[in-house]
Amino acid sequence: MRLRPLALAAALLLPMPAYGAAPVALEKANDPETARLRSQVERLRAERDLASGKGFYLRLDASRYRLALMLEGVALDDYAASAVEWGVPEVLFVNRHPGADWDTRAFSKGRLEPPRERDRVELVAPPPVVVAPGAPTPEPSPPPIPKSAEESYSVPSPYRIEFAEGVSLEVRAKGDARRNRSLFQRFGDALGLRLSDLGTAVGLGARERVRLRVTLEAEDAASLYRSLPPDVGLVVTGLPES
Amino acid sequence: MSAEPPPERGPAAPAPAGRAARVAARVVGVGRDLVGRRRVQVASGAVLLLLLALAGTGWDYREAPPPGEDLSVSPPARPSTREAARLLAERQRLETTLRRKVPRGPWIVIDQTHNRFRLMRGDDTLLEAPCSAGSGMVLKEGTGGRVWVFDTPRGRFEVLSKLANPVWRKPDWAFVEEGEPIPKDPGDRLEYGSLGEYALYFGNGYMIHGTLYERLLGRPVSHGCVRLGRDPLREVYRQAPVGTPVYIY
Repeated sequence: MRLRPLALAAALLLPMPAYGAAPVALEKANDPETARLRSQVERLRAERDLASGKGFYLRLDASRYRLALMLEGVALDDYAASAVEWGVPEVLFVNRHPGADWDTRAFSKGRLEPPRERDRVELVAPPPVVVAPGAPTPEPSPPPIPKSAEESYSVPSPYRIEFAEGVSLEVRAKGDARRNRSLFQRFGDALGLRLSDLGTAVGLGARERVRLRVTLEAEDAASLYRSLPPDVGLVVTGLPES
Repeated sequence: MSAEPPPERGPAAPAPAGRAARVAARVVGVGRDLVGRRRVQVASGAVLLLLLALAGTGWDYREAPPPGEDLSVSPPARPSTREAARLLAERQRLETTLRRKVPRGPWIVIDQTHNRFRLMRGDDTLLEAPCSAGSGMVLKEGTGGRVWVFDTPRGRFEVLSKLANPVWRKPDWAFVEEGEPIPKDPGDRLEYGSLGEYALYFGNGYMIHGTLYERLLGRPVSHGCVRLGRDPLREVYRQAPVGTPVYIY
């Protein structure tokens, strides 16, 4: 019977250290160092998942200003950027923040905007000709030589790679990409771009949450546009915490 | 005494400064009248608001700090919590996993869009040469209805076998394209010398081989295989063993 009050007191006192310890543990788990490590690990997991798949992906390293085309963890082509930015839609001076750790996941199904159309040459084979023994073999007419990539595709600047998760990568060409545009055409380009930005910011067309923007040398921007495989993925590293 | 009348004067020309002042006063008056009208006030207010709204709508960009000014510091070697220690260990493990994805031996990269061939070892480029990848042409059989598309496949492959003095066993499309009947005898399909000195087979009927048309290297003219010039092909045959990864994009 004497034990009952003691047991009651013990039952009341026992949870106290636990209640006192819980906020400390929570605070430690959320300290900046741990949070940063957690983000880095999440990002690396996303990259490992992409590298374990069979699909091509882009890796934007914002801390080194590099954009690489990757397959199974191997950089197939690597471009140096002269500027790396990221933006969010703003309506009436109010930002639509994409949420914390938006960049710790991988993005998928990237497609070019404007799309790259491939113009294929079609040949209909002539009916087979049976040559009599001893007769001269007729020379077949040589097939037309297909156009090279440079001849086939004109490259817009800027262009975008839009991913299914509402993230896009805008690629701008540095320097002489607009050298052959007149002043009037440049004004038209700028106006068109501004209107397009307005439309996407207010949510017209494809829903974009975040837009990454890289500026590449004109030759690199063109090379990426011409050779980008379909349904490319994206992983972003090295962005400063917002 | 008669006073002389004063000499008659014509209308005096207004002084230029006075005329400008009158014009300015009239403009100000018209402006006041306009501004005083409610409709104009509403319209100009609406235009101002619209301009303000447009100025505050669009995309708000931030620039990443240039390389070398990276502000994100690495966590200390001794993490302060057990959770941080676990995360640090996992980060290191993941980084190692990703580093190990890069082949240790030689590897081949083919950019089929720009017809560029590279032989790599680690991060070093051992050889770079123009090549010819698939033309992308579509061949339709006039009578049989079969269709072939001459694309080079994209993805990761491996050198499965290597051949010196390869013999080409011509597939059906090679006869169809040239308007020749498809032979019944398999021996009639064999062609010597057209694949160059060497061939590296990487699956599904695709090879890296030589060509009789070196002047077309750098252009997409093949039927899906990758054509390489004689000297680079010799080097690749020498340096790339069976199992060498081949990445085509």
